[in-house]
Amino acid sequence: MDRRSFIKLTAITGSAAALTACGNPEHQIIRFVPDEDIVPGQAVWKPGVCPLCSAGCGLTVRVMDADADVVVNGQAGVKRIAAAKKLEGLPDHPVNRGGLCPRGQAAIQVTYHPDRITQPLKRAGDRGAGQYEAISWDEAIAELVGRLDMLAGAGNQRLLAILTRRTSGHRRALVEQFAARFGAPAPVDYELFGDEVLRRANAMSYGRAQLPTFDLANARYVLNFGSDLLGTWNSPVAHSRAYGEMRQGRPGVRGTFVQVEARMSQTGANADEWIPARPGTEGVLALGIAQIITGKFPAYTLDEVEKRTGVDARRVERIARAFDATRPAVAIVGGPPLAHSNGLFTALAVNALNTLVGSVGQPGGVFFTPQISPPAPNAGGVLALQNIGNAQVVFVDGVNPVFTTPRPWQVRESLEKVPYIVSFGSFLDETSALADLILPDHSFLEAWSDALPESGSTTGVAGVAPPVMRPLHQTRATGDVLLDVGRRLATPVNLPWQTVDEMLAATFKALPSATPDVDAWTDAQTKGVWTGMPPGAPRGGPSFIVPATSSVGIPEPEFDGDASQYPFHFLPYPSSTFLDGSLAHLPWLQEMPDPLTSGMWSSWVEINPATAQTLGIAERDVVEIASAHGTLQTAAVINPGIAPDMLAMPAGQGHTTFTRFASGRGENPVTLLAPVTEPVTGALAWAATRVRISRIGPSDGRLVLFAGGIREHVEHGR
Amino acid sequence: VVVAVCLASYGTAVGCRYFQASSSTERPAWQTLPGQTTDVFTTARPSLAAAVNDFFGRLPEGEQPIEFPHNTHIKMNIACSTCHEGVETGPVAGLPSVRTCMICHDAIATDRPRIQQITAMRDKGLDLNWVRVYGFVREAHVKFNHAPHIRAKVECATCHGNIAEQTVAQRNVDLNMGFCVTCHRQNNAPVECLTCHF
Repeated sequence: MDRRSFIKLTAITGSAAALTACGNPEHQIIRFVPDEDIVPGQAVWKPGVCPLCSAGCGLTVRVMDADADVVVNGQAGVKRIAAAKKLEGLPDHPVNRGGLCPRGQAAIQVTYHPDRITQPLKRAGDRGAGQYEAISWDEAIAELVGRLDMLAGAGNQRLLAILTRRTSGHRRALVEQFAARFGAPAPVDYELFGDEVLRRANAMSYGRAQLPTFDLANARYVLNFGSDLLGTWNSPVAHSRAYGEMRQGRPGVRGTFVQVEARMSQTGANADEWIPARPGTEGVLALGIAQIITGKFPAYTLDEVEKRTGVDARRVERIARAFDATRPAVAIVGGPPLAHSNGLFTALAVNALNTLVGSVGQPGGVFFTPQISPPAPNAGGVLALQNIGNAQVVFVDGVNPVFTTPRPWQVRESLEKVPYIVSFGSFLDETSALADLILPDHSFLEAWSDALPESGSTTGVAGVAPPVMRPLHQTRATGDVLLDVGRRLATPVNLPWQTVDEMLAATFKALPSATPDVDAWTDAQTKGVWTGMPPGAPRGGPSFIVPATSSVGIPEPEFDGDASQYPFHFLPYPSSTFLDGSLAHLPWLQEMPDPLTSGMWSSWVEINPATAQTLGIAERDVVEIASAHGTLQTAAVINPGIAPDMLAMPAGQGHTTFTRFASGRGENPVTLLAPVTEPVTGALAWAATRVRISRIGPSDGRLVLFAGGIREHVEHGR
Repeated sequence: VVVAVCLASYGTAVGCRYFQASSSTERPAWQTLPGQTTDVFTTARPSLAAAVNDFFGRLPEGEQPIEFPHNTHIKMNIACSTCHEGVETGPVAGLPSVRTCMICHDAIATDRPRIQQITAMRDKGLDLNWVRVYGFVREAHVKFNHAPHIRAKVECATCHGNIAEQTVAQRNVDLNMGFCVTCHRQNNAPVECLTCHF
């Protein structure tokens, strides 16, 4: 045989073997009878509620037939199901009015994620090793009931701790009632980028402990202190729509938009004027403006304001005059300015500006969405989280404190000491990887979902939606699991409802119906939303008290780290794709470029071009950032929109365990943070850490940019 | 020979469903948990043969799960849309589930062996695994929608042949682009590329 025929023969034999060996012919796949009648090829749009942030936007979900891989009685096959295929904004929802942000668009991937936990799991190996064995729901619930009975038998009901995130729906109320009737302390909520400081300030300034709603659509001058209201803060879809109205919706009138912040956010990039004030001095600037308008704040002279904030005195005066002369004008504060030890002062100072120009409760000003039930009080989350190690049983519901708390709090170490941890999460993350029992929840498309938006609308609003599809896996709605567990305890915890939808029905039936002849519950289910004035909600404009800041001195922000050793302010900011990191498991969001840097699938640190030049750092170079509490290495991105003494890093990456898409990718800036808190609310001051930076080496390909980064300024000096 | 080798490697790359699994070794922090069956995010073609057929634009000539007599049903004046229920409302006509069959056959012709066969399947929770007869290959990038054709009163037989004379449906009409465009021209229907193609 010559060489040529040998090669021929090998190729032919090889492909023939491959053709016969691989896979089953299509017609041998086993099909199972579908559970419901589905018209093929016809789409049905059903209402839904977006679960990804607390804005509570309404959804409309496209449901069509699909083939799903299933296992029935141990036999793998295919079944035709009615599957959710696309999410859009609900047109009649007063918060998002048909809009949906990119994160909401990606929410569909939560349901179909390949690393979703499909059934109850029990820890098999060492804690944190990630080894689990499958158990049935009956066994799992029996085990949990046994643990809670043991706790109650010893009279230790107070040693059950429930960690949850600040959700805006009824789930929170259900968990709260379960805790109260069992005898456990109130659920602890913790959010890295929480708004506790602003809620407290609003309670003091306006008598409402909730996030404000801005009538941007009618405003003509908007002075925004640091909030990323078009990207990640509060209710971004509602803001974006109203912002468009303000800029282009009124013929001949284009509202002016001024942004005060030391690192230009997505929102700042849209502003007419960007004013970088020194971190923690935004409140001084606000009262400097107030002094020019009223003369009632004599401590805040122009010279003093310029010295502290670093903003030119003439500029301060010009802004103050314009803010005073234009009506309606509104001042907004949120995000980094409140993440300092003097955050409450800053919030009160900006609230005072709104009072001065009379924008509270007026068109183009500040409103508060009427609430159906009062917002959950802050249960001292930070303190409770630090003491979590004393608990005997911990429930983890939708939070990942191991990832989002500063290291000095030692949350991971405390949780490791807890004898029994139960997680209700759908994915294995850093916190649920410590769990002894995982009871996976339905996805939001498979269960009853609801939201009571805290802001974003001037009328009362409540979203509710029945399940749009049958559960794909052996999961159960967490609310129903808690109700079931409560009934089975030795001393039963009997809540007034059998299921979650009974609880929702009870709330909605008490509301006035928006449509005649149909009760509010039926109407809301069909439309996906209820709007109107909830009975018992405070009416009229907010009652406000002018804060007595004029008599107070000028509170200095406190920073962790000595300025000579750690010369840079460090700003971890909510990623436009992952927020605090809870969405890093969705591949569509991983591949979505950051709006300013175009970074994707990676982490980076933003540095001012002049500073970078001094330190010899080029774009994409590997740099090391160190605080007094930690060190990390990441890639540098040169950003002209950042103060020379500041470094900024998006949060969200750097997961060690969080599905195949996020595990081991990028760096988590929270590991550098110091445990500085705002003293009145106890909230984490996440912008109060100082760091140093040094160059490690040239680019090693760890940074992925979709485009060329922020290059115009650097290359062309524009 | 080179073509054959290339074809084999192409086929292997697109055809095997589980070939991606090896890449997970570099990320030790993530592992498959009990109950997670699939290791890939999107399904590739179910078999290498299907991939090769797709590549050459051939539809599978599979055997139908039962020898369904179209002629018998049409003689009973049962409209096509009774079983192909999506035809008037959406893009695809749809192949019926065994539940659709049992709407009538729970009571009608229960003594026939073929009916007993599908009743047994339904009782075991198994559905009929129909093989598609008509359709366009993916690479043609055709977006066909039945509903507007039905609204325009195009007879089913125009594109599917005289099904009343067939037992198991046969592909008697070659649905190539010329066929579609000729009919569109005759009926003053649009013939822009984007009418039919993505």
